[in-house]
Amino acid sequence: MTIAVLKPGLQTTIQAGPRTGWRHLGVPASGAADTLSLALANRLVGNAWNASALEASLLGPTLRFEQPAAFAVTGAIAAVSLNGDDVALHETVIAGAGDELSVGATEIGARSYIAIAGGIAADDVLGSASTYLPAGFGGLQGRALEQGDLLGTTAPGCLPLMTPDEFRLPMLSSWALRACPSFEANQLESRDDLFEKNWTIGRRADRIGIQLEGRTLDIASDGRMPSAAVFPGTVQCPEGGTPYVLSVDAGTVGGYPRVAQVARADRHLLGQLRPGDRVRFLRREAAGAIDELRAKLDYWRPWLEDIGNII
Amino acid sequence: MRIQEVDDLLSVAAKSPAEAQAIAAQLLDTGEWLAVVPGIDSVVVRFDAALLDAGVARETLEAQLANGVVPLPEGGEIVRIPVVYGGEFGPDLDELCQMLGISQDAFVEMHTGRDYVVDMVGFTPGFAFVGGLDERLRVPRRRDPRQHVAAGSIAVADGRTGMYAVASPGGWNLVGRTPFALFDANAVEPFPIHAGTRIRYYAIPADEFDA
Repeated sequence: MTIAVLKPGLQTTIQAGPRTGWRHLGVPASGAADTLSLALANRLVGNAWNASALEASLLGPTLRFEQPAAFAVTGAIAAVSLNGDDVALHETVIAGAGDELSVGATEIGARSYIAIAGGIAADDVLGSASTYLPAGFGGLQGRALEQGDLLGTTAPGCLPLMTPDEFRLPMLSSWALRACPSFEANQLESRDDLFEKNWTIGRRADRIGIQLEGRTLDIASDGRMPSAAVFPGTVQCPEGGTPYVLSVDAGTVGGYPRVAQVARADRHLLGQLRPGDRVRFLRREAAGAIDELRAKLDYWRPWLEDIGNII
Repeated sequence: MRIQEVDDLLSVAAKSPAEAQAIAAQLLDTGEWLAVVPGIDSVVVRFDAALLDAGVARETLEAQLANGVVPLPEGGEIVRIPVVYGGEFGPDLDELCQMLGISQDAFVEMHTGRDYVVDMVGFTPGFAFVGGLDERLRVPRRRDPRQHVAAGSIAVADGRTGMYAVASPGGWNLVGRTPFALFDANAVEPFPIHAGTRIRYYAIPADEFDA
């Protein structure tokens, strides 16, 4: 069966789980920028957590179901409607043939996840169906959705569900992310300038990286650092002093000082940061960050049994 | 062995790009890490902190490298890479040559006049760090990276030539562009260039870029 794309939204891509096993050759993870919201959406329609779904940034798509199908929307707070009637986030919804689903502009948070029972047919490249826009592969021909695209799905039946309240990931405009000082943190004039102070998310906030604004950092670097591994959540600070946080599509090595690393427990939240949001990095040492990760996994496991693979 | 720890990442120091590649290959072979990413003088592994304590991960890493590292084989055929130098294809070449006090022709002559070896592939799919640049052409990276660098861009920084296989942000000084496909996701062999591949550049005129 097919789903027609009537309006593509600002940047809607097919995303699934991360692309692993190729990072040493420069292939980034890609996949949902907020993997937890992807998993929550897939949970509601009976899919594996990493089944291919739609990730919409800031303004969602309008879709028409050509045959009946179950879907669910999670992630950012946004107005969602089916044939003009409001649809709740975090619930399984059954669409009939010809029904039109519209996902509006995100009001809080940056990304909406639209899961369809059965997943969405997508190009599997290097082990994942996730779209990697910079190199144009995965998902739907390696690109964002366009008007007139037809998405394929098998649309099996599924049990209607609602995400229990305690598992609805809160959407915020002011975020606290746990982070560890990273390999070149000692090049900062003062770590206190980076941690425990508010930053504003700049206009550049996408699947590659998120610009931090509000002040510049004094960094003792001559621009000749040998390129070294970076990951989603790495905070880099070029000589200019304006730091940025790398996200899921970022390059795999970089030559700018790595001053912090957003802890694994909170990396998925990077997918919900939007321009103008505030963010503060809570300083953690490695051992504490790992303890907190395990506490977070324990919290989520009753609803998402694969949480250890999701975040 | 110098190992540094940051959250779920462990970084091992390497003496050279070749040693980093050899360490990475050895660690990849164990299949025990979520990711193994070589750099120019380091290798970072990501461990599964849900299951593994940092201390155990560190001991595992030390044990895997305890018996030394087997160097990777060298050599092979020379891959010849056509490059359109300067102009819109290499927007930093003019300024770079002024900074170095040489003509653009002299730059091209120096850049095409020797064989190189790929130190590593990474950053974006197929991006190649090519070592052995003439010391007279050594310049730092740009202070602020560009948001968009075109696929095929050939750039220099820190004594190396970089080849941008796909479009990406980037901080290297752009000197030219190649029509050579440095990465093809759908090919049987998506990565034609590897660490250790020998490279030689040759200049082509702009009107041959798509030829």
